[in-house]
Amino acid sequence: MSGAWGDATWSCAHVREQLGAYALGGLERDEMALVASHLAVCHACTREYDGLVGLPALLDHAAGLEVVPPRPALEERVLDAVARERGRRRRPHRGRRFVPARVRLAAGAAVAGAALGAVGVALAVGGRDEGSGAPAARPIAPVRYAVELHGRWGAWGRAAVEPKSGGTIVHLVVRGLPGDGRAVYEVRCEGGNWSASAGSFRTDARGRAYAVFTTAARKGEYDRIRVVRRMHGRMTDVLKGRIN
Amino acid sequence: MRATADAQLVERIRSDETGEALRELYRAYSGELYGFAYNALGERGAAEEIVQEVFLRAWRHAGRYDPDRAGVRTWLYQIARHAVIDARRRAAVRPGPPPSEEPGETEAPGSLEQAMLGWQVAAALESLSPEHRQVIRLAQFQGLTMREISDRTGLPVGTVKSRIWYALRSLRLVLEEMGVTP
Repeated sequence: MSGAWGDATWSCAHVREQLGAYALGGLERDEMALVASHLAVCHACTREYDGLVGLPALLDHAAGLEVVPPRPALEERVLDAVARERGRRRRPHRGRRFVPARVRLAAGAAVAGAALGAVGVALAVGGRDEGSGAPAARPIAPVRYAVELHGRWGAWGRAAVEPKSGGTIVHLVVRGLPGDGRAVYEVRCEGGNWSASAGSFRTDARGRAYAVFTTAARKGEYDRIRVVRRMHGRMTDVLKGRIN
Repeated sequence: MRATADAQLVERIRSDETGEALRELYRAYSGELYGFAYNALGERGAAEEIVQEVFLRAWRHAGRYDPDRAGVRTWLYQIARHAVIDARRRAAVRPGPPPSEEPGETEAPGSLEQAMLGWQVAAALESLSPEHRQVIRLAQFQGLTMREISDRTGLPVGTVKSRIWYALRSLRLVLEEMGVTP
């Protein structure tokens, strides 16, 4: 396209940079007129504009709406509810098959961390259920495996895997993670090219957490545990370890 | 194509014992469904109950889902709408002040589609980078000109214009991926 805009390449390129603002009505009056006159004679730019022209009306539907994600714990609640129902349907006379996931922060992390190091030791856990604010304590079945986790920022962790008929319970203690309270960490059970999430947790202000998860992944289906950090839509590996 | 992939996810959620298919579906839709429910009920806990109920019902009835009749998003919103109506009915029979309004039961037939479209566009907007989201919000929702956005953000006017251009192109791609044609 040539004319008042100079040579063809420059003028179309220049006009296209204005098209977004033009579509949203955000140009000055003289600029609006110049773009309009260019579009009147340039089919290529008009086609480009046609792809944007419907967007303002669509955006109007979203005025005042802001997608705020639900709390991370809800994801586990939903999966637990389904796992419970699946278990009930499979074994209607024997009650629940899966235990709901419990995510407990690190009030008792030091005690639990020491205990997890010993294979076959029963743990008593003190902590708080996330969200409920109620104190919680329960005996935990014997720990079968101890997994050392190492990774970024000098963080370390230990995990214990307790096989159950419908999956496994993963006990996790971590320390040294960035304790800004904004990051959500996810525990993944992995084997070969296979990977399943066991659940998510946050740390306390000192970067510590103690969490217990229930996952449908069964013993033998995975041989590694990985902890990833989810923040601003990005996922970063922070800890990993292999089950001996 | 997102629609096909989502239909396959729904097909898998009953047989997938790892829960990964359901988790993927949850991560794709929970944000906008939560917004939809929160907007309808005005209470965070109640909105979370609705989201849980939607995915539980989706899991129960996945075998009846027919991709030829409705997309996965439409199907999930229909479940959400029914769950909201049920929640309002339950609230209405409890002692205490009656609910001030029940638009879920009196709304026009097209309003679910309108609400769904609104949350879909909001979700698409949310998926853009913060920089792209910001310029679109300032221009479209606050009605600022490029010069005013430049003053507000400290960016050169030319940068604001090109950012708007790329932001709208990205938005269009995301919407197309969701099956919405501008």
